[in-house]
Amino acid sequence: MIEVKGLTKTLPNGRKLLNGIDFTVKKGEFVGILGPSGAGKTLTLRCLNGLLKPDEGSVLVEDEHGEKHDICQSSKKQLRHVRERIGVIFQGYHLVKRLSVLENVMIGRLGQISTIRSLVYGFTDKEAEEALLALEKVKMAHLAQNRTGSLSGGEMQRVAIARAIFQSPTLLLADEPISNLDPSNAKVIMKLIRPLSENIPVVGVFHQPEMTAKYCTRVIAIKDGQVVYDGDPKLSNKTLEDIYGEELAQMEQYEHAIPTPEIVRI
Amino acid sequence: MTGQATYSFKRYRKFVLPLILLIAVTEGAAIVCGATFDKLETGIVKGLSFLQFMFPPDWAAFKDMLEPAFQSITIAALGTIFGTILSVVFAVLAASNISHSWVRNTARFLIGLERSVPEIVILLLLIAAFGLGSMPGIVSLTLGCIGMLGKLLADIIEEIDPVMIESMESLGANKLQIIWFGVMPQIIPNLVSYALFRFEINIRLSVILGAIGAGGIGYELDYSFSMLQYHRAFTAMIVVMVMIFGTERLSYMLRKKFKVEGALQ
Amino acid sequence: MSTVDIIMPSKRYKQKATIFMVSAIVILIACIYLNFNPIMIFTEFHYVRDLLGEMFMPNYQILYENTSTGISILQTLSMAFLGTLYGGLIAFVLAFLAATNTMPYKAVRIITQVFVSMLRVIPALVVVLVFVIAVGPGSFSGVLTLVIVTIGSFAKLFTEIIENVESGPGEAIFSVGASRLQMIRYSIIPQIMPSFIANLLYAFDVNMRAAIGLGIFGGGGIGFQLQMAKSVLHYKDVTALITIIIILVILVEKLSDYLRKRILGEGKLG
Ligand SMILES: Nc1ncnc2c1ncn2[C@@H]1O[C@H](COP(=O)(O)OP(=O)(O)OP(=O)(O)O)[C@@H](O)[C@H]1O
Ligand SMILES: [Mg+2]
Repeated sequence: MIEVKGLTKTLPNGRKLLNGIDFTVKKGEFVGILGPSGAGKTLTLRCLNGLLKPDEGSVLVEDEHGEKHDICQSSKKQLRHVRERIGVIFQGYHLVKRLSVLENVMIGRLGQISTIRSLVYGFTDKEAEEALLALEKVKMAHLAQNRTGSLSGGEMQRVAIARAIFQSPTLLLADEPISNLDPSNAKVIMKLIRPLSENIPVVGVFHQPEMTAKYCTRVIAIKDGQVVYDGDPKLSNKTLEDIYGEELAQMEQYEHAIPTPEIVRI
Repeated sequence: MTGQATYSFKRYRKFVLPLILLIAVTEGAAIVCGATFDKLETGIVKGLSFLQFMFPPDWAAFKDMLEPAFQSITIAALGTIFGTILSVVFAVLAASNISHSWVRNTARFLIGLERSVPEIVILLLLIAAFGLGSMPGIVSLTLGCIGMLGKLLADIIEEIDPVMIESMESLGANKLQIIWFGVMPQIIPNLVSYALFRFEINIRLSVILGAIGAGGIGYELDYSFSMLQYHRAFTAMIVVMVMIFGTERLSYMLRKKFKVEGALQ
Repeated sequence: MSTVDIIMPSKRYKQKATIFMVSAIVILIACIYLNFNPIMIFTEFHYVRDLLGEMFMPNYQILYENTSTGISILQTLSMAFLGTLYGGLIAFVLAFLAATNTMPYKAVRIITQVFVSMLRVIPALVVVLVFVIAVGPGSFSGVLTLVIVTIGSFAKLFTEIIENVESGPGEAIFSVGASRLQMIRYSIIPQIMPSFIANLLYAFDVNMRAAIGLGIFGGGGIGFQLQMAKSVLHYKDVTALITIIIILVILVEKLSDYLRKRILGEGKLG
């Protein structure tokens, strides 16, 4: 479970980037965060795992023993401990390009093993086998020994998910995991993330309302650093307009003019 | 016609002042160095005839040269190895995306200092402190290596994708782990290519440093010259040329191999 | 357990550990062979302390007591300048003789390339010793050495630069009936000039350091002063000269960097 209370972040010039963000995500929920560009989605997500310290507010995260930690008040060491079990899939690719796919997955456990062992010995055979299983889940095991830099965008994103799975996380965060993927790859990724939310809370930032409607259990919309919608993933046209402005409504009309594959199938 | 003439003069006018300046500086420098064309002629004529005089090499001395040559190569190799290892440490400390700003500034300052003291000066000081031997040679080559590779590698590390480093932070990895698993793999190709490049330089330097007192083939060369044993010196020169040529080839081959390995499979 | 075969980390570890052990032993043997004991630097540190004690405070009077220091600075700068200028010009000409797109005769290209390779591998130490014998010790022998060294290290680079220019403009000029020389003048030279000058500035920086070293072998300049001061054990003069050298090297490096940036334009520093 993750509880976010009253996050605010203000620039020195007085501009409020985040203005009192509140929400709670329980396990079993797959929450999609929507909102226009620059709304503060990435900032919120960065607060959730302590990459960014908010000016005010708290983020309570449960670790694997059910203990609650306030990420905003943690010392560096505590923060590392909590992060061990927070899986993060970033906006864009963030893998180590010159390591093999398998090594990139195993990196997910760095926080959980002793530093000396990781530097001198590296990972164990058992960890390698587990990492391979994680890769099999995302159908990437056949490329395990390849250099990560040679993968395509969709493949890299799948490796990132395998890394998060390998972490055995108690919380999964994803920032635009499907933004630079083609529609079919995007579906593959969503289908991979969805079942993870059965045991842990999953929070993802998306730009595709049709995707969140289909795969998420709940949608939160952020605009100008505030939560403007929190509830059913199927948004009405009115809500969409509220979130993205009137431009969207016009775009919708345009989209209806050309039949999309979905519509044809119906 | 006249119009065209003024046009072409105008085109060259902006070069007139720099050209005058260049000629003046060249003249001045020539006066300071005592360079004249007469002297140049004697220099070339005498230099070539002297080379002729050094010929033929003293092949009997060839076997005396092998061990000093091997020593020089070993000195250059050790200087490169220690220097490369230490420059990685310095580079990590000097990279703004890894280190605190004061650590970074100190490391950058030290690297800059090492860069600006020529190896020969370091060698002279070390010899003054510790006496002759291979140690001053190896240490000065090591320091020279840090001055050069430290800066180049630090710049490479600073270009590493910050999102990648953040992503490793976000799964609980500490600094050392980030450096080992995130930074090192990314700089290895550059590291190898710079180290090979530096090895070529160190081979040349080890000859010069040897002449001052670091031992090896450079000492042999200088000694033969000062003992007026020019045929022997010629032999030493040939050995050095083979050394330089050999390392150049070797480094070229290794670099090519490594590049191919890094590319598409 | 799994359908895919991977190299297990334990095997990787064994490979890496073996490589590490072997290299460590080789390095250790090399150190023993050369009688090199890095720990000695720290255990025998009192030598360094003694030396530093003698080196301080630097004696800057050498700057104004007599003119020799000032002249030696000028000499070193002049050596580097002349070596770079003439070496660079000769390398420039040789590069045209060695490049496939400017020199149609293969024999000339090969002769030039062999000549340049010879200069590349000939040790600078031999060059300076020979020139000291030929024209006597002093900065002129240093200049001649730097010319040779500059040709050796830059002629090949310039050849590559010339061979890499775009052939489009050259062909266009040929097609209107221009001669090869006109093609070189109007197509190739404008294209390579910026990188040529930038490389010369870089060469000046390198030659400046080399000029200091050559001084020790009779090439004159501040290196010679340093060697003299050291051999008569005037360590306070040595310190002063070293600080002057550091300042000189830094100034030349900054100047060369600045001019290079201006010539190549920001962000294209080659
Ligand atoms: N380091 C920073 N300094 C100043 N302003 C920042 C900083 N980081 C982000 N911002 C501002 O905060 C706002 C919210 O940024 P954020 O990255 O959260 O947007 P986002 O909702 O993720 O947008 P997108 O959909 O384009 O990714 C933006 O207006 C951005 O300019
Ligand atoms: Mg964003």
